Amino acid sequence: MTTTRPSVSQADLAHVQDYIKKVRARVGTVVVGQDVVVERLLIALFSGGHLLLQGVPGLAKTLLVSTLSKSIDLGFARVQFTIDLLPSDILGSEVLDQRTNEFRVRKGPIFTNLLLADEINRAAPKVQGALLEAMQERKVTIGPETFRLPAPFLVIATQNPVEQAGTFELPEAQLDRFMLVHRLDYPSPEEEREVLRRNAALGIQRQDKGAIVQTEFDVLDQRPVGSGNEIVAAMEAVSSIHVSDTFVDHVVEVVHRTRTHPDVELGCSPRAGISLIKASRARALMHGRDYVVPEDLYALAEDALLHRMRLKYGSIAEGKTGRQVLDEILRAMGGEARS
Amino acid sequence: MMLFRKWTSRLACAAALATAPQHVSARPPQEVASPTVGMPARWNDVVLPGSELEAVTSSRTSPVALRIVAVRPHGDSFRYDFEFWGLEPGVHDLRALLVRKDGSTKSDLPALEVTVRSALGEEGMRLPNAPKPAELPELGGYEALLVAGGVVWVAGLGWMLLAGRRRRAAELAAQPKVRSLAERLQPLVERAMRGELSREERAALELSLVALWRRRLRLDEARPAEVIATLRKHPDAGPLLSKLEEWLHRPQPRGAEEIPALLAPYRNLRAEELDSDGAAR
Repeated sequence: MTTTRPSVSQADLAHVQDYIKKVRARVGTVVVGQDVVVERLLIALFSGGHLLLQGVPGLAKTLLVSTLSKSIDLGFARVQFTIDLLPSDILGSEVLDQRTNEFRVRKGPIFTNLLLADEINRAAPKVQGALLEAMQERKVTIGPETFRLPAPFLVIATQNPVEQAGTFELPEAQLDRFMLVHRLDYPSPEEEREVLRRNAALGIQRQDKGAIVQTEFDVLDQRPVGSGNEIVAAMEAVSSIHVSDTFVDHVVEVVHRTRTHPDVELGCSPRAGISLIKASRARALMHGRDYVVPEDLYALAEDALLHRMRLKYGSIAEGKTGRQVLDEILRAMGGEARS
Repeated sequence: MMLFRKWTSRLACAAALATAPQHVSARPPQEVASPTVGMPARWNDVVLPGSELEAVTSSRTSPVALRIVAVRPHGDSFRYDFEFWGLEPGVHDLRALLVRKDGSTKSDLPALEVTVRSALGEEGMRLPNAPKPAELPELGGYEALLVAGGVVWVAGLGWMLLAGRRRRAAELAAQPKVRSLAERLQPLVERAMRGELSREERAALELSLVALWRRRLRLDEARPAEVIATLRKHPDAGPLLSKLEEWLHRPQPRGAEEIPALLAPYRNLRAEELDSDGAAR
């Protein structure tokens, strides 16, 4: 294993940006709109973080992740989290091979590049804990053996913010493991019309002696637009994006303000600032820049910071939301000129 | 004859009574004791003419105190028993302590002098030496030190205030008067372009410009992420913000720019508009 701090040329940057455009275009052939979500997925992938998507059912979360995995030639696995799920169902376990009378390891679905943990809050805390530990350490221990997870390894978890009955809310410490938490919105009317038009255009697909109705999954071009090398190049490019001292100061200020705001009981940890800078670098690359600007900070602040803040009970009782408080914090930045 | 003598003597008595004076003088005070100071003494059977007398309450400064022990009628006069206390040695007239009950004059009273002796011999009472007021010592060392310290402190404070005011006035006089926001921003922007701003100045300049345009374009209700995207595209706010992004965040900023053109939208703004409270004025 080598650690590199690459210096990427403008040509390499242009190549990476071209690759990203192709990926987005491929995803766009199946998923309508959701540009921001695609951007967040790629940010998480290129900057080595994990992503939690919060949204009501039916917003094409699974389709989006599945499409992305096929577009970028990555291994993909999906686990539907339920109350009776066990850690071994995700990580794997030792099984007795009756032919050799020895235990052998059966790896779980976590051994993939892109793991979709659907409705993560429905599983028991011990399952959540096992997954989140693997996310942090990027290795899994089964029996006496420890296995390194494949690289890249990205967990995209989903969570339904509405149905909370019978769920186990992720505690702040575990939410902190997710680099970004993105809250999906409904598509715009125009996007929704396009979704309906495309869905109406789907036909049936002959299979065996009968036929099944086609879904969006069936129309996706199975050929990836690039290889693993492109992903590595993109990751290298992200780590070469310049972060100015001024930008670091902005990040420190916004993180510090979350700790001193009167409505906030628990402010952001230093990991929040790290995540914000990592994600900003990836976003800068996706927007064709080799340096980060305040726009990246403002665009990613909600996804990187909001899940790391906990409001005071009194503020919640007054009807304040974390998003309102974060907006207040961001608006307050630069409120006083010092020169 | 006997009868004649009897009547003659009666007439003589009557004539004698008729020719007797109308008022009766006080008996001479031969039997009056001369008490020493503070000791009581009695003077009984003193017949005094006129209406009934009574003793007045003696004052604190009165040399003698008098009490009438008994009063009895005596013809058209009264006979009194006095008790008195001498408070000072000497001869005192008791008339001063008597008044008529009916308020009439007492000028017809004879002198009622009593003598009060001193028990202390000829030298009289020996009074203690009159105390002389002691002279206050001069202000002590500790108090003097406190006063002196207070004076020095007040003088020092006054000097500092005056000096600070004078220096501020001198600085203000030395500074060129800022008339517009463009003039205020120009030195900052020039230094930003040359990369000479400190870290704090860079962060403050960039964020305060974002805040300025957010207030001016009334974007307070918009989400912060939308605000910055809007500002970058705005014809007035965008050019300088974009250039600042390049100068402050790009690893190798491009060459010099036409700063007056960048500051054109700020020429008609007051310099105080950059401050959040200045905008509210």
